[in-house]
Amino acid sequence: MSGPSPKRRVMVTGAGSPIGEQLVRRLLDDSRVELILAVTGHPVESFPLNDAKRLTVFQVDLVKTRRVHHLMFGLAKELEIDVVIHTALHSSAADEGDKVHAYNVDSVRNLISLCERHPTINRFILRSASAVYQVQRDLPVLIGEEHPLNMSGHAPQWVRDRVEADLTACVRMGLGSLQIVVLRMAEVLAPGTGSQLYDYLQSPICFQPAGFDPMINLMSIDDAVEALSAACHGNEQGVFNIPGADTLPVSVSIQRWGRIGIPAINALLSPIYRVRRRLTGHDFRYGMNRRWFIYSGVLDGQRAEQVLGHVPSHPIDWPVPS
Amino acid sequence: MPFPPSIAEALAALFLDDEARLRAQNIHFLDAGHGYDAFGLHPSFVALGEVLVSPLYDKYFRVRSFDHHHIPTTGPAVLAANHSGNLPMDGMLIWLDVLRNTTPPRVARPIADHFVPSLPYLGTLFSRGGLVGGSRGNARSLLDAGEMLMIFPEGVPGIVKSFKKRYQLQTFREGHAELAIRHGAPIVPIGVVGGEEQLPSFFSSRRLGKLFGIPTFPIPVVPVPLPVRYYLYYGEPIPVHEEFTSADADDPRIVGEVAERVKAAVNVLVQRGLDERPGVFQ
Repeated sequence: MSGPSPKRRVMVTGAGSPIGEQLVRRLLDDSRVELILAVTGHPVESFPLNDAKRLTVFQVDLVKTRRVHHLMFGLAKELEIDVVIHTALHSSAADEGDKVHAYNVDSVRNLISLCERHPTINRFILRSASAVYQVQRDLPVLIGEEHPLNMSGHAPQWVRDRVEADLTACVRMGLGSLQIVVLRMAEVLAPGTGSQLYDYLQSPICFQPAGFDPMINLMSIDDAVEALSAACHGNEQGVFNIPGADTLPVSVSIQRWGRIGIPAINALLSPIYRVRRRLTGHDFRYGMNRRWFIYSGVLDGQRAEQVLGHVPSHPIDWPVPS
Repeated sequence: MPFPPSIAEALAALFLDDEARLRAQNIHFLDAGHGYDAFGLHPSFVALGEVLVSPLYDKYFRVRSFDHHHIPTTGPAVLAANHSGNLPMDGMLIWLDVLRNTTPPRVARPIADHFVPSLPYLGTLFSRGGLVGGSRGNARSLLDAGEMLMIFPEGVPGIVKSFKKRYQLQTFREGHAELAIRHGAPIVPIGVVGGEEQLPSFFSSRRLGKLFGIPTFPIPVVPVPLPVRYYLYYGEPIPVHEEFTSADADDPRIVGEVAERVKAAVNVLVQRGLDERPGVFQ
């Protein structure tokens, strides 16, 4: 950890999402943050904190590069923003196509490019996800930052976009004065965060591949927000895994959520969940998550602890006590 | 696992005495928050493991083991043993032997070929007892956490070798030596005698192995393992943590030499066991 840092002026994208909104609340409570610019795709009036002091809310579609440019070199420059926290990510796996890709990936490229030549911004923080990692039987259970990424061309766009956005940020690290921090966060078990497991757990009966019960790591929204806000301060850059406080087998997560786990033949799970998706409109895709239901994969947060001082401390509030 | 720890606990309460149950409760492991470590180990399943392995250890294979004082009681360590027998009984018996004969009780973490943790049911059960897949990252993390690894440096060629090659050590891979040097862990050689005769086979089928998701499938000449007696000999630890620095782990010459020393030490223990045992079943 570095010494005392100057007061920050922070811009948060994706402020309309549950994580973005909680992050803004957290930053408002942080005396080291002087001012917050919350960027949301929704109307400003719908933002719950829009009358808070030190907070400016701005509506923009991150896909519209011209408007983003005007935001960055207009309002953000006027407010002398020095840190950008990019949390905007399309959450639904059902939506695919160029527009989703533009939102997930091109917006990152565009924002970094603008930040690099911006007169006041010196730090860019990207919210990435553990979904970028490959899990397979010959890879370590504990996932370090050097762990192979899921570069499969067969991966769904939901995964490919996250990998591409992550790498888009990584390739710009160290090339200029802009400090880039990529936080690969464990799955946040909360609604509206794009959590596939959260969606999976919404059914009273959860099917698991028979014979497998891998270890997973999950995080609460509080820990996610704490990691993002902690990354504002300090001067370190790089890639950091951000694990959650809950490391447990899939079966225990089912039980703690008050669901019934039923083992089923692995080959049947994709069709079962496809039918569920069509009938109920749920988002969970077994095919996309299959490996996480067979092979253990737990984020190793040593680097984040040593460099950013982040230690997960807010376990998930499970509906069923242990 | 298809059943929760409470069922494992109930089974342990039914079949284990208080001392054994207490032993499982007192094992050193890093609880990641829900009673499991990050690799899936759970003390209740360690107790269940003792329930399952004890009959083999006590009644069927009637294990005799020697020189437990060589097993480090704390800190990172690597147990390196010869591998044999077509079924990994040697690993299970060493696992229980270490658990029973260390104070405080330690779980030797078996490092298995990649296919083992991905076997349905068995892989999960083994993981709950402490087994991890044989990736460098897993071994590194465990040693960093002060755990004790159980490695069979011969790998699959050791366990599936034909009966005519019994007690002839196969090529020792060097990963265990590199890990031990890099992480400052002493290497404890183990000689296992008895395993070679438990399930003799004269050939193995890669095609059948592929069917079951394993490298090769041995065709044994008997349908079940024979009730041979197992002998386990723990050798004096090779103090690589005192002799080398972690940077030496990048020197292929040093790593190769250490692996050869381990192989020689294991061979001495195996020969001792062969000399001392009165017979295959005695």
